[in-house]
Order: sequence, then structure tokens, then C-alpha cells
Amino acid sequence: MIDVQLTYPRLFSEGAGMLAIKLQVPEKQLVAVVGASGSGKTTLLRLLAGLEKPQSGAITVQGQTWLDTAARISLPPQKRSIGFVFQDSALFPNMTVLENIRFAAAGSPLISSLIESVGLQPFIHQKPDKLSGGQRQRVALARALVRRPQVLLLDEPFAALDESSGAELRQTLLHLHQAWGTTTLLVSHHADDVRTLADRVIRLEYGKIISDVPVPLKTASQEIIRTLTFDHDTQTWVIGTDTTLLRSSNPVWGQYKPGDVFPLPA
Amino acid sequence: MHTPIDWEPIRVTFWLTLRLAGITTLLLLLTGIPLAGWLAISRFRLKPAIEALISLPIVLPPSVVGFYLLLAFSPTSAFGNWLLQTFDIQLVFSFNGLVIASLLYSLPFMVHPIQAGLENLPVSWREAAYTLGQSPVKTVWKVLLPNCKPAILTGVVLSFAHTIGEFGLVLMIGGNLPGQTRVASIAIYDEVEQLHFETAHAYAGLLLGLSFAILVLVYSINKRVTI
Repeated sequence: MIDVQLTYPRLFSEGAGMLAIKLQVPEKQLVAVVGASGSGKTTLLRLLAGLEKPQSGAITVQGQTWLDTAARISLPPQKRSIGFVFQDSALFPNMTVLENIRFAAAGSPLISSLIESVGLQPFIHQKPDKLSGGQRQRVALARALVRRPQVLLLDEPFAALDESSGAELRQTLLHLHQAWGTTTLLVSHHADDVRTLADRVIRLEYGKIISDVPVPLKTASQEIIRTLTFDHDTQTWVIGTDTTLLRSSNPVWGQYKPGDVFPLPA
Repeated sequence: MHTPIDWEPIRVTFWLTLRLAGITTLLLLLTGIPLAGWLAISRFRLKPAIEALISLPIVLPPSVVGFYLLLAFSPTSAFGNWLLQTFDIQLVFSFNGLVIASLLYSLPFMVHPIQAGLENLPVSWREAAYTLGQSPVKTVWKVLLPNCKPAILTGVVLSFAHTIGEFGLVLMIGGNLPGQTRVASIAIYDEVEQLHFETAHAYAGLLLGLSFAILVLVYSINKRVTI
């Protein structure tokens, strides 16, 4: 569980104000953070990452205190178990794809499987300037995940991508989220991101959460749920169909049973 | 008055000048890079004061810097006396003194371009490295510095050229001892004073040619320096 309570004065699109966020995110949930430009979405991610210091507040992640202004605790970004994907990828131009990922976790046994998962095997010795926007974001995603962070923070990762690259990256992200179940906050402008990826959507306006709703799963195909179990170790539902096996922390799966029609996010 | 040119003192003087500029630049590279890296990422409260201190030689007349260093290096001062008693080093009118004075005087010419180069890189590179668990030192060393090679080259060239061109400071600290502290800029002044215009021409022409060659080299390399 991530428990966040923050206040931070800043300039919003509506003018100067106070970002005041109170939020709880269960483990393995993928939360989409939406809202107009300048509503405080990116600031929220940066505060979680420790890239900005709030005026007051506390952040605990799985029982560990990352921030507690009252107790003068503020872990630097290096000490917070996070993966951060920036809008501009922030890949290091002097390093190849492989070196970028190794920089995060040299010698990690996950490197090769992650590279395969994001489909970058043919490009591992290329420098970032030789990659397309979509490929760069996939490298950034692999680099952010290679240390197995407790929290993945994605700051509009699809914003600069064309439609097909965006759709591909969404699939990659969905696949990795289902496989690894990393608790994720995704800042996005794009309705597709919310529909395809999120378990829950919070909407910000002028630095406050004005709505917080689970994403309804709508029946969009005739695939049948073949197996449905709850994995107590990872606190996730494991759902099997004829074509896929996925994990989800969305409690809505408790309402389903084997033999039901598999619901897809619409 | 026509005086035949004696090339031996010119060779000695140029060798001394190049040695001073080379050693100063090398030492500045070793000290300037960490200093510029720290200044580029630090939020230390007294950073403006430190930046001002580093930049002082740009605005102060060289003779002012030279005067204070002369006082500090003098064996009659506490520092100069300590150096003499402890290490048997006398910095006034010595090559070592020239190197130290040049280090202080050319420091901003090494630090400023590198600091500016580092500060112009996208902030997200540094932040990404931090979120990947890397320390500020490793971030500067592995990510930021390799991506601002042209700025480092500019710092090297400016420091080297500035050290070659020093006059007032060198005169105050080193005087005019042939083979020890007599650098090319002082030799030109000295030769003109004695109306040895041909020799002054030789020094000046060589300095001009050398400076031009360095700049051509830098511009050619800078075009080829890619990340």
C-alpha cells in the first residue's frame, strides 16, 4: 500500500495555489492520473519520486517511510524504490540501449528478459538517437523496471508518440504490469491509456483530487474465463482464458467465476 | 637599431611558456571538472559566494591578484614562511609560484565553460540517473560530463591560451628570470624596452602563429566531437 498525504504550493494553470493530495494506492494497482495541463499531475509524480520537496506531508510505501516532514525524514530519489519514465525518455545519449539499462542495475539477471519483453533485442547496441520515439520509451520503461521498483511512475510516456507506437507501448506496459504487478501511477492526457491500462482513475484539478473512480470493465469479447484464482502471496487475481493468462489487483475480478465471459477494458 | 636574433633564449622562453600553460591546464582540468560538476548540481546556500570568488580574476586587474599573491607567497607572510619552513618551498620568483598563481588566475576560464555546458544539459538526464539509484558523483561522471565534451574542450583551450597570454600576474609573482620565470609575454615587453624589435617580432610572431594554430585545431576538433 502506498499512503500519500502532501501539500505543496505551486503555480497552476488557474494561478498560484496549493497542491493538496491525499491518496492511498493498493499494491499492484495501476492508477491513471488525469487532468488538464497545469493541474499538478506531474508535480505529484515528482513529489513521490523525491525530485521536489513538499511543504508538508508524508509518504509511506509498504510500511517504509519515504517522507515525513514532521519527523524531518525525506529520502532522496536514490533511496526510494522507484522507476520513473519521463516524457522525453531521458535516455543518456552517450550510452547504447544496453548500457542505459545496465547503468540502472549492472549485472541484473533481469536485463535480458526485460529487453526481450520490450522487443529491443535487435537494437541493444544502438545509441538512443538511432531509435524511434516509441523504441526510446520502451528502453526507458525497461530501464525504469530493471531494479524491480516498488512504484513505477510514468509521466505522459505516450505523449510524443504517434498512434501505432503509442498502442504498441501500451501493450508492452500492460504485459509488463500483468507479469510483474508493479504498483504504477500513470500521468496521461489520453483516454486510450485510461481505458486500456488503468484499474482506477483519479482526476486532478487545481492541485486537488476531484474524482477517484475504479475503471469499469466492460464486456467486449466473447472470450471465456477458464481459470480464476486469487494468489494470496502476491495479492492478485490470476485469470486464464484460451489465449491469455493475466494477473490483476482489480477487486472487480471477485465478481467473476470460470465460465463467465472475459471482460475487456473498453 | 639592428640586432641579430639569438634563437636560444627564444627557444628556452617558449618551452617555459608552454610548460607553464600545459601544467596549469592539466591541473585545472583535474580541479576544474569536479568543481564545475559540483557547482552545476549543488544547491548549497553559499554557492553564489563561491562562484563570485572563482570569477574574481576575470574582473580584477592582474596586478591586484598578483599583489595579494605576492604578499601571501612572501617568506615574511605566515603562509609563505610556513611553506619555507615546512617544505623548503619558496613560491616568489619561482616556476612553482607561477603555476599556482596561474591556477588561480585561469580557474574561471576552465570552470565557467564546463559549468555552463553541464547546466545546459536536460535536467531530466540528471533526475533519471537519481531515480535509477545513482549518486550525484556517478551521474556527473558517467552521464553529464561525457555529454559536454565540447564545453570541456573550450575550457581547456581558454585556460591554455589565457595562461600563455598572462603578463601582469607573471611579472608580479615571477619577475623576469630567464629559464625560470621569463615567459613569452614578458620577453616581448623586455625586448621592446631594449629596442630589440626583431627579437620582439620573433616572439610576437610565434605567439600569434601558435594561438592561431590552437584555435584552428579546436574548431576542427569541436566539429568532429560527437556524443
